[in-house]
Amino acid sequence: MFRKVLIANRGEVTVRIIRACRELGVKAVAVYSEADAESLHVRVADEAVCVGPAASSQSYLNIDAIIAAANSVNAEAIHPGYGFLAENADFARAVTSAGLIFIGPSSEAMELMGSKTSARRVAVESGVPIVPGTVEALVSFEEARKTAEEFGYPVMLKAAAGGGGKGMRLVSAGDELLSAFETAQTEAAAAFADSALYLEKAVERPRHIEIQIFADTQGHVVHLGERECSIQRRHQKVIEECPSPINDPDLRRRMGEAAVKIGQAVKYTGAGTVEFLLSDATREFYFLEMNTRLQVEHPVTELVTGIDLVREQFRVAAGEPLSFTQDDVRWVGHAIECRIYAEDPANNFFPSPGKIAYLREPAGPGIRVDSGVANFSEVSIHYDPMIAKLAVWGRTRDEAIERLRRALDEYQVVGITTTLPFFREVADDEEFVAGKLDTGFIARFNERRRVVALPQEQVDLAMIAAAIHYSRHEQPVFVQTGTQVSDGRWKMAGRAAGLRRWKRT
Amino acid sequence: MEDGRTRGRSEKVETDVKLKAIIEEQEHDLNVRIDGGRVRAEFGDRVYDLELREPEPGSYLFLRETELHECHVSKAAEGFEVSLHGSNHVIKIVDPKRLRSGQDTHGHSHGMAEITAPMAGKVVKVQIDVGASVEKGSGIVVVEAMKMQNEMKSPRAGVVVSIHVKTGDTVNTGDVLAVVE
Repeated sequence: MFRKVLIANRGEVTVRIIRACRELGVKAVAVYSEADAESLHVRVADEAVCVGPAASSQSYLNIDAIIAAANSVNAEAIHPGYGFLAENADFARAVTSAGLIFIGPSSEAMELMGSKTSARRVAVESGVPIVPGTVEALVSFEEARKTAEEFGYPVMLKAAAGGGGKGMRLVSAGDELLSAFETAQTEAAAAFADSALYLEKAVERPRHIEIQIFADTQGHVVHLGERECSIQRRHQKVIEECPSPINDPDLRRRMGEAAVKIGQAVKYTGAGTVEFLLSDATREFYFLEMNTRLQVEHPVTELVTGIDLVREQFRVAAGEPLSFTQDDVRWVGHAIECRIYAEDPANNFFPSPGKIAYLREPAGPGIRVDSGVANFSEVSIHYDPMIAKLAVWGRTRDEAIERLRRALDEYQVVGITTTLPFFREVADDEEFVAGKLDTGFIARFNERRRVVALPQEQVDLAMIAAAIHYSRHEQPVFVQTGTQVSDGRWKMAGRAAGLRRWKRT
Repeated sequence: MEDGRTRGRSEKVETDVKLKAIIEEQEHDLNVRIDGGRVRAEFGDRVYDLELREPEPGSYLFLRETELHECHVSKAAEGFEVSLHGSNHVIKIVDPKRLRSGQDTHGHSHGMAEITAPMAGKVVKVQIDVGASVEKGSGIVVVEAMKMQNEMKSPRAGVVVSIHVKTGDTVNTGDVLAVVE
């Protein structure tokens, strides 16, 4: 096993990887931007190196600075986490040529699967079905228009280099195509430095189901079952589950085998995820893309299979065989994860950066919190707004949902707006409880959700608390009321201050 | 040494104030009296008698008889943010003793709609010119923040009377981007 590993990331994923390092007796080195000097991922590391200013292009995406950091502390390997450089083949190559180990697949496998167009070719060659669409990148808007008309609307525009929903647009009619094409191109260029787009026929009411695979350098390729990731906003997942509410062992086996075939075709190593669209009606599935990295939603697979995916990544990168075989993999119970974003669900999930004034995370049976923030953390505009993930486990989906509601009630984040209240509403929603999920869930949920007025008592108590806080902590000592300074208020302020000192000691 | 004359009841009164609390644009008159670890709060005829504890600064524990309510209060951009039973409330407190009348009235002139930046970011595209007619939902300006491009849409149909930003500008929360009349 390694002696020292550098984690080329920030936030909750870095904290997660550091936990695996600790368990394995590996020293963990964090990198940070100038904006992150006091961030949680730095505070929990063994060593930390500043890699540049706040802008991620100059810090977390700065390949030279990160490799120099790894060399300066004599790290043997680099874990890229997810996002940032995790799927950048140039980075993987640079790590290897610096004599370090990249904890992830080979740069060749990454390149093959990183371009969605070549990934689709791999799927076709492996006999795995794909959604009808262009195999090559579109050369012009004119080609996009012709192809869209050929397939018939609705169609999806996607960035060829894409991932994470960036540069992706659903186009339901011809008159929306130009504006969607332009904004997707701009977004793709900004996110991936590559504006190439391709086009697919949109599958109606699809479920988004992905298969976790794992492969070692000895040639074993196994799958760890599915995750249902149908609840998405802006094509980004917000709630994930394992198993899917469909929970069909035969379907899991067929999708698992298809995913393993793709892994074998690209000589994959480490953790990877093969994403599929599944038609709920026909149970037909189509290859969507492969993510050549650890996934944000890996905790639900860990909770249900009991396998620590990050520890397994370390094993494989160190040249050891997988610690389990396909037959060893068992799925016990049900896990659900909510991604806690600093976003305003009432305002179209608009980012809501700011300082966390108070934080209390849930705990107790079946609860797992992977958090990148602490009390008084600054959620900055520079980075992704996901602050933490709440994952729950129960023996059944119903039990998991009950725990989810309880944990969401316990979770307190003050100072920034988060998606927590939204999840609490979803946890009570009939369609969600019934497991009727597809990628249009949030749009329909927003249509049918009723704003339930809170009990008057609760609103009153909140106002009382604000009034008490105001009079205890916010009232200035010098109270000017016209020309007369009230003697009584002077005394009262003094007494209040005395009383507070007495209370706190 | 204490005697009844110098240590009257008012000695113990920490606070006795009349305030206005504004929540979701609704104003409530509120009397709060804190006296020896107890709170009496009155919203007209809705009266609350509560035991009060503050286990850490900004965390308040109310006991209404034996029923427990825990909340946390912190300062927000406008007033306070209070979390209670899983909901966060933004509440503005107006102290009539500290405010001259006329403050805090920001009415909208009729028929005008301001498109404001809901958060800090960079203007990547201005999609329309002054004088153009727009429909409700028409894209006006694209603002990029936290790696996402967000199209600011017109909240109503009308004519664009002014645009206050250009491509490349950095904007802050609440900045007026454009006005539609």
